[in-house]
Amino acid sequence: MQERDLPSLLVFIITAGLPATLLLSVVGLGMGFLIGVALALIRVYAEEDISLLAQAYENLFRGVPVLVLMLLFLVSTGWPAFFSAGLALGLRSGAYQSQIVRGAILSVSESQMIAAYSIGMNRMQTARHIVLPQAFRLALPGWSNEYAVVTKDTAWAGAIGVLDMVKASDYLVFEDPVLFLPAILAITLIYFVLTYPITRYAGEVMSKRLRSLGLGGDY
Amino acid sequence: MSIVLDVRDVWKSYGELQVLKGVTFSVGEKEVKVVFGPSGSGKSTLLRCINMLDPPDKGEVLLKGQSLMEDGVNLTMMRARIGMVFQQFNLFSHLKALDNVTIGPQRVLGLEREEAVDRAHVAIEQVQMTDWIDHYPAQLSGGQQQRIGIARALAMDPDVVLFDEPTSALDPELIGEVLQVMLDIAQAGTTMIVVTHEMGFARAVANEMLFIDDGIIVETGTPKHFFTAPENERVRQFLHRLEVLYGGQESVEQ
Amino acid sequence: MVGSGDMHNLMPLQYGIVSYIDELAQAFLVTLELYFVGLVLGFIMGLTFAIMRQFGGRVLSRIATGYIEVIRGTPLITQVLLVYAIPVAINAAGIADLPLNWYFYYIDSQNRIAVTLNWPILASMLGLGINSAAYQAEYMRGGFASITSGQLRAASSIGMTRWQSIRYIILPQGLRRSIPAWSNEAAYLPKYTVVAIWVGVMEILNMSKTVIARTFLSVEMYLILAIIFFVFITAINKVLEITHSRTKIPGV
Ligand SMILES: Nc1ncnc2c1ncn2[C@@H]1O[C@H](COP(=O)(O)OP(=O)(O)O)[C@@H](O)[C@H]1O
Ligand SMILES: [Mg+2]
Repeated sequence: MQERDLPSLLVFIITAGLPATLLLSVVGLGMGFLIGVALALIRVYAEEDISLLAQAYENLFRGVPVLVLMLLFLVSTGWPAFFSAGLALGLRSGAYQSQIVRGAILSVSESQMIAAYSIGMNRMQTARHIVLPQAFRLALPGWSNEYAVVTKDTAWAGAIGVLDMVKASDYLVFEDPVLFLPAILAITLIYFVLTYPITRYAGEVMSKRLRSLGLGGDY
Repeated sequence: MSIVLDVRDVWKSYGELQVLKGVTFSVGEKEVKVVFGPSGSGKSTLLRCINMLDPPDKGEVLLKGQSLMEDGVNLTMMRARIGMVFQQFNLFSHLKALDNVTIGPQRVLGLEREEAVDRAHVAIEQVQMTDWIDHYPAQLSGGQQQRIGIARALAMDPDVVLFDEPTSALDPELIGEVLQVMLDIAQAGTTMIVVTHEMGFARAVANEMLFIDDGIIVETGTPKHFFTAPENERVRQFLHRLEVLYGGQESVEQ
Repeated sequence: MVGSGDMHNLMPLQYGIVSYIDELAQAFLVTLELYFVGLVLGFIMGLTFAIMRQFGGRVLSRIATGYIEVIRGTPLITQVLLVYAIPVAINAAGIADLPLNWYFYYIDSQNRIAVTLNWPILASMLGLGINSAAYQAEYMRGGFASITSGQLRAASSIGMTRWQSIRYIILPQGLRRSIPAWSNEAAYLPKYTVVAIWVGVMEILNMSKTVIARTFLSVEMYLILAIIFFVFITAINKVLEITHSRTKIPGV
């Protein structure tokens, strides 16, 4: 990390740091999706005590800084920093995605479930064909938000040694602040380009479309 | 005439509130029964008890001689044989009109997609919605949504269809198209139990009318009986109020 | 990222986490400082941006929207690093000579210097406030937007000016209505105070690392740290819940 002029520093940030950022984001979101959907289904459909366990999981992972989770996994598993960071991001995102999906499931109108039972569907079929397809659409704005959260929070991984964009330049904070400023501005801009179009699209265009289909009056 | 549905001494309470206090009646094949009575008298509860969406506390419901309340009956398969049409339509908002109708035959009856679509087309034809099959519920008027709701029930080829005030959530100018469809399917021989205050409909097709108040059937009879000589004072008052509300052309003739 | 502060050198070498409890408590005070100042700063700025966005006319509302979207679209870490580095860079470039080497402190029970405020701490507070303001503004705006325009028309019908109706009609109701959503942010922010470690602040995480360097009890220390945050945030949630149930308007 000896880049001492801005162009080569930017190239280094993008070629060395950006892939880690993107990969961590995908891993965190994907793992969080699987955990989140499972937890949401448990909280809505499972027995009381199992549901309480799922709730405890949510509270736990929402109550601890993601960097502390990363450090904890790093020192307790002995895995490479990248895996510890991905694990922390995924487990924590699962807690948030569970809430997103659960909220969406609960906002599917009960009258449609009754209609489904009235044509002879059982609970499983009603969940599979009526509730979940609507819930997944209703969850889109929440998911786009979570995408932005996870993507931005990949930046914490630098603190446990993952070479992401911030890590690729942060040694300059103290060594060469004049060079550091434009570099960190560029990184900030890259994050904005990664997150804003998607949250904007899902937040506005998508919720408008959902409303026009009579879905998600509350979003 | 064979009995399709037999309701025997059905009781239902919600907590302290006793809603149904022993309701008994039966419906024969191709019969149309109209149920009416004051708001809160238990009409919707009665329909929900019939298809076990809300199982009764006591009593018996038999569909073609088979009890729905015995242990071990496959409730979902029995429900598939009892259609239901809702006041608020309750269409599946993520599905186009056609798929609202095919989903039952496909998922519950296990038909192939093409078979389900054929069946749906017949039902949709009956409710005159063929031009609208590609629309989502939110893109349809209330009357159109309710007609798809009726088609959804018909496509299951049910033994009996329950209607819970199917027109009372509609704007006045949309009521006619739904009533017309209901008249058509009644005349085509559909067995129906209809909760409604549309007395014109009752007069045209009801084999029998049941007046329910405070959880019991107070009086039964033909439309002619009710419109000429209702016995119970409460019935007379109720019909009179309907007349004041909706105009006299089709209710009480003293 | 720097890991060392003054205390690092002064700390006696001992084994067992319990023996560092004073240091950890001091560092936790810094964490609390970061949290409360960040939250209050975020509230003041957030309220300003929420009012600008909802009632500010075209230009002001654009500015507020831009601020909110840029901040929400970028990581807290780069925001704090920017706030920290701008004056440092100005000095390094020779443009000005901004005073950055001051600090406030107290002497602890063991006669050591405990820093309470210096430029890294202040920069972290500013960063947290700037960041939190964008989220708080959105929650408050949601509260303002939920108040019916009928009430605004009623206000002007009795002769209130625009500012008066905002001040006396919208704000009292809107702020109360945004409490549930705002509570999310209040419970979210404590976790993000650890951002200060990037600019070398000796807050609870940085101190934990120092303790680990001395004791090698890394898993234990991080577990304790996780529990500290969990308890802290659960307590904040409880306090907010109680506050909320006491400030409800009947029938709203
Ligand atoms: N799920 C329920 N829980 C509690 N009370 C109910 C429920 N459903 C209906 N009721 C009560 O039962 C009574 C009858 O309701 P309902 O059958 O809907 O009357 P109707 O359809 O004749 O207007 C009402 O007092 C209603 O409040
Ligand atoms: Mg009813």
